[in-house]
Amino acid sequence: MSVAGGLIARNRSRFDGFPEPLLEAYESSLRALEPRLTPTQLEGWSRGGLDLMAISLRSWESAAEYFKAGPRMAEATPWDTYEQLAREAGDLTEQSAPLAVSFLRSAPDTLTHIGPNHLAQWADFGRRLYKGNWKSSSLAAQFYDAGPDLFGTIRVSHAGRLVLFLDELARHSYELAAACLTSAPEVLGRLEHNDRMPFLTFGVELAQTSWADSRLYFDRGVPLIQRVHGPVRERYLTLAAQVARDHSRSVFQYFEEAAHALGEVEPDDHGIVIELAEQLAPHSAYAAMDFISNAPEVLEKVRIDELGAWQNHGLGILASSREGGEAYFRLQSSRGEEVLDTLSARVELSKVGDVLRLYGKALTGKNISIHASAVLTEKGIGWVDEERASTDGTTIYLPEVMELYRGKDENFAAVKVFTTHQAARLEFGSFAFSFSRPSTLFEDLRPTIREAPDANPATEIERFFDLFPDRTLASDIHKVAEGTRIDAAIKRNYAGIRRSLTRMQREELERRPEVSELPLRQAFVENLVRVSLDGIDAVRWPAAQRDAVSSGVSILQQLMAESASVEDTAEATLRLYQLAMSIRNERDEGEEEWEGLPEMDQESFQLDMSELGSEGAPMEMEMGDAEDGDVDYESPQDIDFRGDFKPELVQLLMKLRDDAELGDAGQISPDQLTEEQLKELLEKSAEIDLDSLLEGDLQNTTGMFLSNLLKEAGTPTLDSDAQSDQPLSDLSTGAEEGEEPLAPIVTTYYYDEWDFRAQDYKPRWCAVKEADLEEGEEEFYDETLKEYAALVAQTRKQFELMKPELFRKIKKLSDGEDVELDPAIEWMIDLRTGVSPSDKIYWRRNKVERDVAIAFLLDMSASTDEEIARRDQQYDDSDDDPRKYLSWWVTKRRQELSAPPKRIIDLEKEATVLLITALETIGDDYGIYGFSGYGRDNVEFYVLKDFDEQFGETTKKRIDKVTPIRSTRMGPAIRHAVHKLSETEAKVRILVLLSDGRPQDHGYGRDRTEKEYAIHDTKQALNEAKREGITPFALTVDRAGHDYLKTMCEDMGYEVVGDIESLPRRLPALYRSLTE
Amino acid sequence: MAPGGLVLAAEEFTVREEPYYLPLGDEIELFEAAFEQRIPVLLKGPTGCGKTRFVEYMSWRLGRPMTHISQGGEAPLDDEGPRPFVTVACHEDLTASDLVGRYLLDTDGTRWIDGPLTRAVKTGAICYLDEVVEARKDTTVLIHPLTDYRRLLPIEKLGQVVEAADGFLLVISYNPGYQSALKDLKHSTRQRFISVEFTYPTREQEAEIISHESGVDMAVSIELAKLGEKVRNLKEHGLSEGVSTRLLIYAGRLIERGIEPRRAAQVGVTWALTDDLEVQRSIEEVVTSIFE
Repeated sequence: MSVAGGLIARNRSRFDGFPEPLLEAYESSLRALEPRLTPTQLEGWSRGGLDLMAISLRSWESAAEYFKAGPRMAEATPWDTYEQLAREAGDLTEQSAPLAVSFLRSAPDTLTHIGPNHLAQWADFGRRLYKGNWKSSSLAAQFYDAGPDLFGTIRVSHAGRLVLFLDELARHSYELAAACLTSAPEVLGRLEHNDRMPFLTFGVELAQTSWADSRLYFDRGVPLIQRVHGPVRERYLTLAAQVARDHSRSVFQYFEEAAHALGEVEPDDHGIVIELAEQLAPHSAYAAMDFISNAPEVLEKVRIDELGAWQNHGLGILASSREGGEAYFRLQSSRGEEVLDTLSARVELSKVGDVLRLYGKALTGKNISIHASAVLTEKGIGWVDEERASTDGTTIYLPEVMELYRGKDENFAAVKVFTTHQAARLEFGSFAFSFSRPSTLFEDLRPTIREAPDANPATEIERFFDLFPDRTLASDIHKVAEGTRIDAAIKRNYAGIRRSLTRMQREELERRPEVSELPLRQAFVENLVRVSLDGIDAVRWPAAQRDAVSSGVSILQQLMAESASVEDTAEATLRLYQLAMSIRNERDEGEEEWEGLPEMDQESFQLDMSELGSEGAPMEMEMGDAEDGDVDYESPQDIDFRGDFKPELVQLLMKLRDDAELGDAGQISPDQLTEEQLKELLEKSAEIDLDSLLEGDLQNTTGMFLSNLLKEAGTPTLDSDAQSDQPLSDLSTGAEEGEEPLAPIVTTYYYDEWDFRAQDYKPRWCAVKEADLEEGEEEFYDETLKEYAALVAQTRKQFELMKPELFRKIKKLSDGEDVELDPAIEWMIDLRTGVSPSDKIYWRRNKVERDVAIAFLLDMSASTDEEIARRDQQYDDSDDDPRKYLSWWVTKRRQELSAPPKRIIDLEKEATVLLITALETIGDDYGIYGFSGYGRDNVEFYVLKDFDEQFGETTKKRIDKVTPIRSTRMGPAIRHAVHKLSETEAKVRILVLLSDGRPQDHGYGRDRTEKEYAIHDTKQALNEAKREGITPFALTVDRAGHDYLKTMCEDMGYEVVGDIESLPRRLPALYRSLTE
Repeated sequence: MAPGGLVLAAEEFTVREEPYYLPLGDEIELFEAAFEQRIPVLLKGPTGCGKTRFVEYMSWRLGRPMTHISQGGEAPLDDEGPRPFVTVACHEDLTASDLVGRYLLDTDGTRWIDGPLTRAVKTGAICYLDEVVEARKDTTVLIHPLTDYRRLLPIEKLGQVVEAADGFLLVISYNPGYQSALKDLKHSTRQRFISVEFTYPTREQEAEIISHESGVDMAVSIELAKLGEKVRNLKEHGLSEGVSTRLLIYAGRLIERGIEPRRAAQVGVTWALTDDLEVQRSIEEVVTSIFE
């Protein structure tokens, strides 16, 4: 009998009472193992199973698995492992039979992955997850079940970390842990081997601090990690883990944002970014993560090797003030921006626009403005390239950002060259072309050319281009010729810019396409471009074109003369066009090298101009029919620093503007443009690429284009002085009149906000949207006047009494209305004693010029909806008698029914009415504004009456519409009112804040309950007002206002006016003290 | 010009040498005609455009003496030679008695001292009141009778009326640009003068002036004049007053002394003109565009 058979026979009785399959499993396992094990070992194996059966009531289940597992073990499994398995199984079964079942079921497969040596460890992992309850048991079981899958991907050491993670999660949610475990093999499988450990480490930290994010992390973490450059992923995760250790809030969010950000940074630079972040981490983990998150934005402005300098500066701030440093790296501090600006090599138009505007003004003597090119392209009037400089005759458009070079100075010099070129077009008359004005250097060909008889050109330059059958070529040549003339004029007139210009010309030359690869006519034009860039040495031509090229060069060089005018450009264009037309646009098949200097020296360029001026009968320009072998003509590559040049459009615009002006003046221009003329111009002009301009059929496009043009010309040019003060204001307010009169015009302004923790401003943090307040009914105003008739009269009287004070007696004058007694006596004494007397013994009444501007700022926040508790309505709690209370309550109700209680806002409105009465009496300039809003990007600022506005029905109607709206972000509203005040020219400027106090808004402080931030910002805003020479004064109608007003206003004036009756009494006194 | 260190009585000052003056238009003929007819002249124009130089030049040209306000006693008049000529720079505390004269205490009691206007009236000089709107309003009381057919100067404190000597001519200057509306010239005053308007010279003329006055060569002068022209374009758009020819000459002189042109323009023009950093920066850019 075999050993197995013996064992079965011996032990059969022990299987009594257990299900049949158990015995079957026992038998088959012994038989299967018999060949592998020695008899003793086999007996040991059998004993192990039998022991399991004996452990508990249900332990036979694990025994069954035990028997099943035996044969599934790998052939070469050493006996030790079987023993160990039995031990672990026994151990587990004692804890929980189902657990052991899972363990045993996946053990054979798992062992193939982890090897026998790690069996104990694996078993331990599971045990660790098991806490004695069914949930943990099922998690542990799941862990064992997942064994083969899991260890197919990860190592045992990783599993240890995973278990740690699961264990941590399981403390909060078993479901979450189970879900993570389920996805673990797949998730970890997607990661590279080296990343798994740090991935899990961060996971553990996450589970400890914000466990709820773990699921997100498991779901979304891998692609995020993969955004980070491979070699530094581990460091990144370690860093993230550090953040998680230090802080508990929004860890995953930081992790996610930073990883996203890194994805936008060049992978090679990740190392540097992370290293710099690591330096920050000991000071503030937030700063480190914000630093990474904002790296792409910062790197837009500075190069990677400058990043360290920026970080270092912030590190300094961080070391001294944690809050300040964190704000710095959040890019929420002005200092951070300043440093960035200093370091940044790029030049932003928004920063230098004002300087350039004045510069352009100086150069041209015209009232030009500077805008980003995008503004021009948005207008849809023919310009399509947002990156190129251009001008429309009144404005110079420049690319928003200049970062061609590595140095800021160089970049600025480049912007300056751009600007100078555009300004020079205006200065040297590129758009002042007149068809009939003679040129200075050439014999005029223009009159000799036959014009189309029915032509009706809209502009002079259009008439000129009409001479050419091939308009594109003509336009290209004209552009080159005019560029030549302008560049030469700049070099001659502005020696200081010569060097930068020459440099840019040189660089442009290096970028030019290889001329010998172009078809011949294009090569000719390309050669002209090179000459115009002062690159005569870069001109190359095939031998056959020697004459044409030399003539062309010579003509172009004429334009560099001082006396060259735009008409000379035109004459040159005519000649160059003819030369170009004499060359077929075919590829050069010849073998010989193209010539260039020095084969032909410049001397030979001087040729007799009369050769070209064909005299006599009217001539016809050639069309140059395309022949076989000809290639379609393509315009030469654009020249960057010269930008777009569209003389036809500019002349058209200027003409339309003139017409519009005349139209405004009630006149009709004698040669007003007709729509047909316009259409014709647009269709034939080479300057407009209608296809790329707008999509849709030509008819529609043209129509749209026309209306855009007319709108552009008809819109009065904005006063650029006003623009300079608010470079960021939304210019969309130039809305067309009459079309949508009801839409409120909203202008947006941006203001900094003070972060008292960081002790720095958050730059352009708040958007203040200014709009006129809706108009309601006039009645409120009139009724208030009626209701408070007595008060109004009193107020008026009080203020009228102030009037005589407007005259001040000035003493000690040498001339005046009358002799003043005291000095007169002194004078006599001096005279008698022989001392030289002072002749200043007169007095005179001088009218003191009242030069006062006062702005009222009404709080329109929701909190002003509260009723004002009058003192007599407050129930005295000290008395407990319920009957008394009842009678008090009844009286109160009755009062309320007869006269509804006043809300704060009502008091504000009534006070405003009284104030207006007073101010109209005294005649000071004043503005009334209301504010509310929600969030930093939506501070609403309503105009009830602007400074230059007359008080009238509109104002009265607007007051009616003053209602509580939303939050109170006082700081930006004050800053905007200050901005308004500082635009007035008054000597004495006052800002009166009428409010219930309590600044409060979304994001105005750490959370809604925090008042400190808001109060500090408001205080800072009031301080700014003082610095501007404006007297701020807070008037509140809420008795409870004392506390915060005291903090906010400190040394500034404030007053609590509990009820409107006291206003007239207080106002004149207040007003006097403020204005004097 | 008077030799340095020499102290002269007001009416002794004369323009002995021909001052450099480049006529910009027909102002010389106009002035001469006005002088023949004894019509008072109002010179209008921005600061530093050559108004004072013009009067000086005319004083020399008309062979008239000229007086500057200065301390000192009376001096006899020399009718044969060049005659005195009075320039008074007006300021806001300038009163009528500053012009007419006042009593001063002496060891022997009080003594009357003629003011510059009285001296000019008595000697028949050309009296030039610079920036007349700056003066106190009471001075107009004096100007009015002097500038119409009466040609009288009332001296209230003496109870006298002085008839103007034959050669007397009142010339006033006025800069409409920078004075505020408050200090506008009253019509009753301004309509007693013919008004000669001065503008900045053209680029070429100005270059000639700069070159002559500073000694720099024409090439530099023309650049300076160009700078002047460009900077004047900024008037009303950041600058209240354009750069004066005087400043350009100063810059030219610095260049002549070996200062870098850019630096000279910076101290002579940019910084001299404004304290507004933005405008300074803009002018700076114009300077660096023009000068290498």
